[in-house]
Parts: sequence; C-alpha cells; structure tokens
Amino acid sequence: MSLPRSPSPRPGSGWLSPSSTLGSGRSTPFNSFYPPALSDPWLAAKAKSDEVRGYPSFSTPNKGFFSRSKRRIIATLPGFRMRSTSPKIYAEKDGVIYGSGRGWRSLWLGRTTLRRRRSRFFLAMLLLALGYLFFWTFFVEAFRRSIFGGGRKFVIILQSNTEGGVMEWKGAREWATERNSILNKKEYAKRWGYNLEIVNMLAKKRYSHEWREGWEKVDILRETMRKYPNAEWFWWLDLTTYIMEPSYSLQGHLFDRLEEVVYRDINEYNPLNITHPPIQPYFDEISRSANGDDDPSSIQVLLSQDCGGFNLGSFFVHRSLFTERLLDTWWDPIMYEQKHMEWEHKEQDAFEYLYTNQPWVRSSVAFVPQRYINSFPPGACGDSLDPKFHYTEGGRDFVVNMAGCDFGRDCWNEMYQYREYSKWLNRTRWQRLRSWYLDMYRALFGD
Amino acid sequence: MQFAVPPRKGPSPPPYARASLLTFHRRKQLKATAILTLALLAVFFLLSQLFRNRAGNSAAPIGTSGVVIVTLLDRASYSDSYLQKIIKNREDYAERHGYTNFFANLSDYDSYIGNSPRSWGIVPAVRHAMASHPSATYFFHLDAHALFMNPNESLEARLLNKHRLESLMRRDVPVVPPDSIIKTFSHLRSEDIDLIATNDAEDLATGSFVIRQGDFARFFLDTWFDPLYRSYNFAKAETHSLEHIVQWHPTVLARLALVPQRVINSYSKDSTHAAVDGTYKDGDLIIRFFECDTDPKRSCEKEMGPYYSLWAKKLKIE
Repeated sequence: MSLPRSPSPRPGSGWLSPSSTLGSGRSTPFNSFYPPALSDPWLAAKAKSDEVRGYPSFSTPNKGFFSRSKRRIIATLPGFRMRSTSPKIYAEKDGVIYGSGRGWRSLWLGRTTLRRRRSRFFLAMLLLALGYLFFWTFFVEAFRRSIFGGGRKFVIILQSNTEGGVMEWKGAREWATERNSILNKKEYAKRWGYNLEIVNMLAKKRYSHEWREGWEKVDILRETMRKYPNAEWFWWLDLTTYIMEPSYSLQGHLFDRLEEVVYRDINEYNPLNITHPPIQPYFDEISRSANGDDDPSSIQVLLSQDCGGFNLGSFFVHRSLFTERLLDTWWDPIMYEQKHMEWEHKEQDAFEYLYTNQPWVRSSVAFVPQRYINSFPPGACGDSLDPKFHYTEGGRDFVVNMAGCDFGRDCWNEMYQYREYSKWLNRTRWQRLRSWYLDMYRALFGD
Repeated sequence: MQFAVPPRKGPSPPPYARASLLTFHRRKQLKATAILTLALLAVFFLLSQLFRNRAGNSAAPIGTSGVVIVTLLDRASYSDSYLQKIIKNREDYAERHGYTNFFANLSDYDSYIGNSPRSWGIVPAVRHAMASHPSATYFFHLDAHALFMNPNESLEARLLNKHRLESLMRRDVPVVPPDSIIKTFSHLRSEDIDLIATNDAEDLATGSFVIRQGDFARFFLDTWFDPLYRSYNFAKAETHSLEHIVQWHPTVLARLALVPQRVINSYSKDSTHAAVDGTYKDGDLIIRFFECDTDPKRSCEKEMGPYYSLWAKKLKIE
C-alpha cells in the first residue's frame, strides 16, 4: 500500500507500522485522541480531503516566526526617508528611484543592531591586527621559551671578558667587541627561547698558576650543566663569534637533521691524519667501525674541523654519561704534566689527543662541516679563501668565528663589518623596498 | 479523556519524574567501555616500554648471568704443565657454573703495549674478552697465578648477587690504603656498580677484579690503557695508573665497589702485603700466589703444587 506521508511516531505507542493495523478489523477509530489509521482507505480519503481543504489539523495560522513577529520587526526597522539629505544623488533622471525599497543605507549602517555588530567586528579585527603587529613575536617567543616550544633544551654558553684585562689593557675596541658579541647572542637566544649563559673568563690564579687556563672551559661546561638541569644541548661560543643568521634555529639548522648534516668518519676530512678506524683486534665492533653505531642519537659531542684540526670555538655538547666522563678525563694531571709544553691550544689539543688515543671517545663524537657552525673570515685559515672554511658572501652561513683576530688582525673592525653585513642580509621587507627604491632613484637621476 | 491515574507505561519512567541524564543501563555501558579503554592503554604502554628497553639496550639482556673468566697466560715464561694445571682448574670451575673462560696470550698484545711493562697486557686482554663475548655481562679478570679452591661456590653467591654485593661493599674507606684522602662513596647501591675490586695492604689489586660490560667498561679500559699513563714511569705500572684514575676521576669512583680482600683475592701465606684478614683460609673461593712471578726468590709452580693437589683431592671425593 502507499501512504500519503511517511508514518509518524505516536505518543505512547511508539512506531506505528501500517501492517499491524491492517488485519485488526476495526473500521472506526476507538480513540479520537489519535489520528485515524491511514491504512483504512476511507480514512485515508478523509485525511486527504482535509489536507485539500487547506487547514491541516496540526498547523495553526500565524505559527511561523516571521508571520508572528512581522509587525514587531517592521516597527523596529529604522525609518528611511528618501530625498531628505541628498536627493540629487539618489533620484535618477528616468524616474526610477535608486534604492527604492531597500537602499544601500539600510544594508550598511541603517540598522542599529547590524551597525553595532559590524562595528564590534571591525573593532575586533583592528585589535587582532594590532595584537599581531605588537605582540605576535612576544607570543611566539614565549611559546618557544615554554616547555612545549623546546627552546629550553638549548643553552648557549658565551665566553666573555677573556683574561679580564689582567694580562692586557682592555681598550674601547675590546669593550665594543664584547658588547656587540653579547648583544648578538642575547637577541638570538631571546628570539628562539634558548638559555644564554655568559661566563666570565677572568684570569684566575687557580688556573693560571698551573698553566691550565683551558681547564676552565671544562669546569664551566660542568657548572652550566648543573645550573640548567633541564637543558640537553650546550653550545659553547667564543667571544669573537657572530651569529649572522638569527633566523636559523638550532633545531632546524642542525638537530632535526643530524643524519644529513654530520659525518662521523673522520676520514672524510682529516687534517690531523688520525688513523681511523682503530684496527686493534681487541676492540669491539663499534669501536672498530668507522661510523660508530651510525645512530644520530649516540652523538654526544658535535664540533667542526678547520684547516688545522679540531676547532672548539663553536661546538655542542649533549648532556649524558658520556659527556660527564669526557669532561672528567679531558684534564688529567698526568697527561697534562707530560704534554702542557706541546699542547699549545690547551683544551683543544687535549681533546684531539683523547680522540686519537681513546677509542671510546670516537664512537660518540660527530663532525659537522665547518661552515655550518663556525665559518672563518678571510685570513683565519691561511691566505687562501677555501670555501670549505671561509665565509662566502651570499652563502648565508650561520655563524662566523673571527678566530685569531687578536693576532695581527682587528677584532672590532671585523665584527663591525660582519654585524653590518648581517643586518643588511636580514633587513626587513620595508627596508628592502626602500633600498630598492633608492637604487632606482639613483639609477635614474643620479645622486 | 481524563483518567484518575495515568496509565502505567512499561519500563520507561513516568513523565513527571525528573529524567536522569544517564539511565542505569547506559551508565553501566559507559563504565565498561572506560575500563576497557584503560586496560587497553595500559597494555599498550607496557608493551611499548618492553620493546623500547629491548631496542635501546646494547648490553646483555637481563637474566643471562654470562660470566667470563679472563686469564692472561704468558706461555713463553712458564712450563706447559704448570699452565695446564691453571687451565684445568678454571675450566672445571666454569663448567660447574656455566661460565665461559677466555684465555689470552700475553704475546698477542706485545706490539700494542710497546715499551711499557708487559703487565699492562691485562687491559687489552679484558677489552678483547668483551669484544669476543658481547652478550656476557660480567668479566672476571683473575691473575694466572691463582686457583679456585672452592669449586662449588658460584661467583653470584659469593659476590655478584645484588644483596650480597650490597652487604660486602666497603663504604667510606680510603681507595688506596692506608690513608688516601679519596674515599669510596657511601651512598652507592649495587645497581651503580660497574667495577668490583679489592685492596691489599698497599694497593688496589689489579690481579682480581670484576667489570661489567657496557659503556663504562669501554671508557674505563681505554682510559686506563692511555699511552700517556703507560709512558709515565709509574713504579707499579698499571696498578698505580689504576689508582691514579680512581682517585682523580670521580666518574670512575662512582662506579667502583671495594669488597673485602678475601672475597675474590685471598693471598697465599707466602705472599706479602696481604690486607688485614686477607690471607687465605680454608673455604675461600680463590687463592692467589701474589708476586710469585716478580719475586726472584719465589717459584709459582712450587707454591701452587700443594694447593693444586688439595683441589684435585676435593674433586675426587665428590
């Protein structure tokens, strides 16, 4: 059978299926409260005729929202008087009144409720824009500093106040170098939420009377690890370094892609000619393999090599048992007693020695090509300009290390040059536009 | 139509009663699902922990007792019959307890020792044993001139058992007798220990120590064997070098347990320098004929003879 409508639920008796009442034998409804069973042909016809009559039993006139409150809505609408203010504009020549019925005004500002809503919306947008302009970096930096941002995993240890003016008088240029270097790291650490630890390398009798100044670096690393118990990577930076690209994060630049960036087999670049891997048959497989276990998670020390060997002007140390042991053995009085005359670069030579002679060190040390963390200015590695070591313009190197600038070169001059170049490289869009415009102007009209 | 009493309507609640948001049935269902999800999460967590441990641990799996007895034999200086006695004694002991023997030849390491005293050979020998038995946990270096006298006592029961070691560890005593200002840590627990050694009256004993496989062992042995230590002219070569490392490097001291001498290092009565209560008594696991090889007046073979026959007799009685 076909139904005029789909069967509807009834109060109290659930779903009425047409077949259940088909054979019941009743011809008249016993309860007027319920609508008649539509299965009955007679009743069905009656119901249909009811519908045709236009007053279905369930619908009442004036029931819709609009029909009920039409009057009220109309009354609240603002009056719209045509031609009251500027008739010349609204009346067209051919008599058709522009905006007859509903004018643009009514759509725009005419209605108070809408007007209020709209203005609120614009205010919110304005606030958002202002917030974005003024507070966005603040929020981003706060997030990076928080436990979710991951910035707290890194500590930058910046050497400062080398010798502290004990051996040599500190002049204005030295102070300027120091100020600029510190400011540079401060800004970088703030931007990425890293911790910055500026250490005072004042010459101390404790170290100098035994000619073991380099020992201090090891002690500082240990102290810093104690001071930041939640940090994982510690980045040592010499004072004469400058972060050229503050937009590079350590995570994105290095630690999220260690596998691609680092090399563990020192034969890849081996200025010290260290025999690698160790061949003694009594070593285990990992010690004897050129790449260690080749798992980036086992890297505990990350450094670069310049043309003369290891460079500890900029290197990373990971908090681990390995590091504790390394820092512990780095300065051994018996080794130092025998070698301190030869070890011109103190801790750097000692570390080279350990790497060469103690295979357990090799399996957790990885190297990164120098220009990733430690580019040299021209003149720092011989007279050549080998792009393997030296900063090249346009290369967008991360850090430049003016190593050895206090021997016959001018630290402040170099730092100033690099600071200006870094500023120019990382100038904002507005500055870019301005300089482009100025260039154009000059090209067209001359100076 | 009006009724005096509203009709009863099955299991559904009366319309005037306040409908509770969750019916009893639904509540039960929810509870069941919650418990189920919790249980599933717990299972996943446990499994992940299990597999992580398995994947991340390069050392031997827990449960394999794997003890390797490392012996460095100088085949050139001693008669074969003498060495065979030592080997037989150790093989018997290892067989009883399921241990492995690692016999190394001193001459194999000559080229690596260089000009330093040959006694340095024990360091590469232990490192070699570790490389060839990567799944074993403990490496017991025992000087060649020593015998197992109590073959039925296992090393676990004697020393390595957690509780046993905890009770044996000597805390807050000078590392190097008699009066080093560096003392063993008093807060160490048996889990922290990677190196178990003994003192005699004068030095840390290098003739009998146990080291656990792992990163520490690699670090410790490589440091110990450093060329600058070997060239330093220590009066007692590797023994003094060990003492130096232990006293100057807290990362080593923090892994070291000193146990009373007689636990693994009883000296025969001819040996000098035994610590107080360090001389062999019946029932001790090991007897060492300390310095019988360096003292020209003594002979290792002669000294060992009676003890060897004592041990052989014990075997026969069983």
